[in-house]
Amino acid sequence: MSGLTKNEIKELTKKAYECRKNILKMMRFGEAHIGGAFSSLDIITVLYNKILKHDPKKPKWEDRDRFILSAGHKGMALYTTLENQGYFNKEILWTYNTFNTKVPMHPDEKVLPGIEFPTGSLGHGLAVGQGMAHAGKLDKKDYRVFVMLGDGESAEGSVWEALMSASNFNLDNLVVIVDKNGLQVNGRTKEIMNSESLEEKFKAFGWETRAIAGHDFNEIYDALSSVPFKTGKPSAIIADTVKCKGLDFAEDKYEYHHWHFKESEIDDVLKNVDECCREELCKIE
Amino acid sequence: MNVAERSCVKLNKSDLDSEKNHNIDIYEDARKILADALLELGTDNKNIVFISMDSSAGASGGAFKKAFPERHFEFGIAEQNGIGEAAGLAISGKIPVIAAYVPFTTYRPFEQIRDDLCKTKLNAIIMGNNSGFSVSSLGPTHTILEEVGVLRALPNMTIICPADGIEYRQVLEVASKINCPTYIRISRIKAKRIFSDDHKLVFGKADIIKKGDDITLLATGTMVSKSLEAADILAKEKINAEVISMSTIKPLDEEAVINSANKTGKVVTIEEHSVFNGLGSAVSEVLSKNCPVRMKFIGTPDEYAPVGSYEELIDYYSLSSEKIAGTILNFYKSF
Repeated sequence: MSGLTKNEIKELTKKAYECRKNILKMMRFGEAHIGGAFSSLDIITVLYNKILKHDPKKPKWEDRDRFILSAGHKGMALYTTLENQGYFNKEILWTYNTFNTKVPMHPDEKVLPGIEFPTGSLGHGLAVGQGMAHAGKLDKKDYRVFVMLGDGESAEGSVWEALMSASNFNLDNLVVIVDKNGLQVNGRTKEIMNSESLEEKFKAFGWETRAIAGHDFNEIYDALSSVPFKTGKPSAIIADTVKCKGLDFAEDKYEYHHWHFKESEIDDVLKNVDECCREELCKIE
Repeated sequence: MNVAERSCVKLNKSDLDSEKNHNIDIYEDARKILADALLELGTDNKNIVFISMDSSAGASGGAFKKAFPERHFEFGIAEQNGIGEAAGLAISGKIPVIAAYVPFTTYRPFEQIRDDLCKTKLNAIIMGNNSGFSVSSLGPTHTILEEVGVLRALPNMTIICPADGIEYRQVLEVASKINCPTYIRISRIKAKRIFSDDHKLVFGKADIIKKGDDITLLATGTMVSKSLEAADILAKEKINAEVISMSTIKPLDEEAVINSANKTGKVVTIEEHSVFNGLGSAVSEVLSKNCPVRMKFIGTPDEYAPVGSYEELIDYYSLSSEKIAGTILNFYKSF
């Protein structure tokens, strides 16, 4: 059973949808990878509100849990969540896509508090997270490292190098979450490079693995609050998600991997997200 | 005497202070010296960690592994993973040392070096073992003659190419304090002794080994000792060459290069590397805007090296001291 109350789920839902609306407002300044940002948002919302040991006032606190968004193009999900948590002023969000912005399309740890490591080119984050987890073990710290991958990203060979070694090193302070939305730039992931079953593959590489519904707050919270699933082993959560979740006309359509609306459409798009949010809240009752 | 000092033959400055005596017939194994130096550095600095990619035994990491098994991480043949791990360790305050053959520490994980180490400006040490013609019998996949040019283009990357055993003894400690990623170019061929024990390898500083007024020889790594020998040959032709060791290739000691070029008006660069984008190119970038002079680039051409022994390739590419001297003589007489 979940440890979340209905009210907590409602609050998380509202926060996740507020972030989605902020992403759309950021998109007034330019196109964005909205599909993955929206599919990952419910998980990222649970992480920052319920799971991670962190302090927005001390982003470099050495005992903090680390989160690396390996699929860096989903950065807007992270930016809006960090803003919601109080890492920086909301005005920074409205500089998206402008010269020298602190919120570029891919996150940059040098310019924005709360970003642990810069990502953008796919397949880098897990090895880096593994190094952080190793450092934690060496320093006898109990922080954990969470790395979010995309299912399309999982075609990168470097991902599998790190999956093999992290279990070899028994890094039970390392957690991978795959935002498995099933779509990538050119179409359905299973048609471009079928990586199924990720769950079985991760298990074969020595990870304790759990598959969840990636927009079900109960399941997200249950899984994330249960890591490590087994002492001495890294944990993997394969989360089935919907690309562009929360914008009903765009859901599960690869054309919305990277998208921009017309300025005149912004009000309609925001209303659409509000309606989706209301529907989600009704389901909780 | 500490561990690292024991690994080099003891030479006082008085043994070396005449110009001629820089050509001392002592040859030292860089890998052995680096292994001792790494052990000492790891003893002094608990943040030093070693990343092996099935490479530590042959890449100076064996003694470190034995002494500090908890700080030795074996990744097997997975270089992208090794560099990514190094970045995660470095941003957490560790100083990773990554060592393997040149192609495996530089080319396979190039994007990880660029994005995860250089863009982030992390303190990590990449040891490129068996550089140049060191293992030329293995063919062009292992004979890498362009990596300095490739790495030199990366912002925040620093590059050191030690000239002799004394510099190999110091280079890891020097690199550990740079606070940038550092690439160390390491030859498997025993290094001819150039410097006395009290020589200090200073990051970013060139060393004038032999003063001269007629022509400037700027050399790096294995080519420093050969350039000194070439200078002896040139002296018999009444040409007084200035020989400068450019152990730090990036950042280049611009002042030393400009001062000598201003004095002699003729500059030759000598490297066991392609003439494209290596030391010669770095020097020409400086001189072209500060002090344009006639230059000669001595190195390898724009091609993959044939298979052969080290000596055969040195001869094939005219990098013996005699052939270097001949090339310089022709250049000198062309004015």
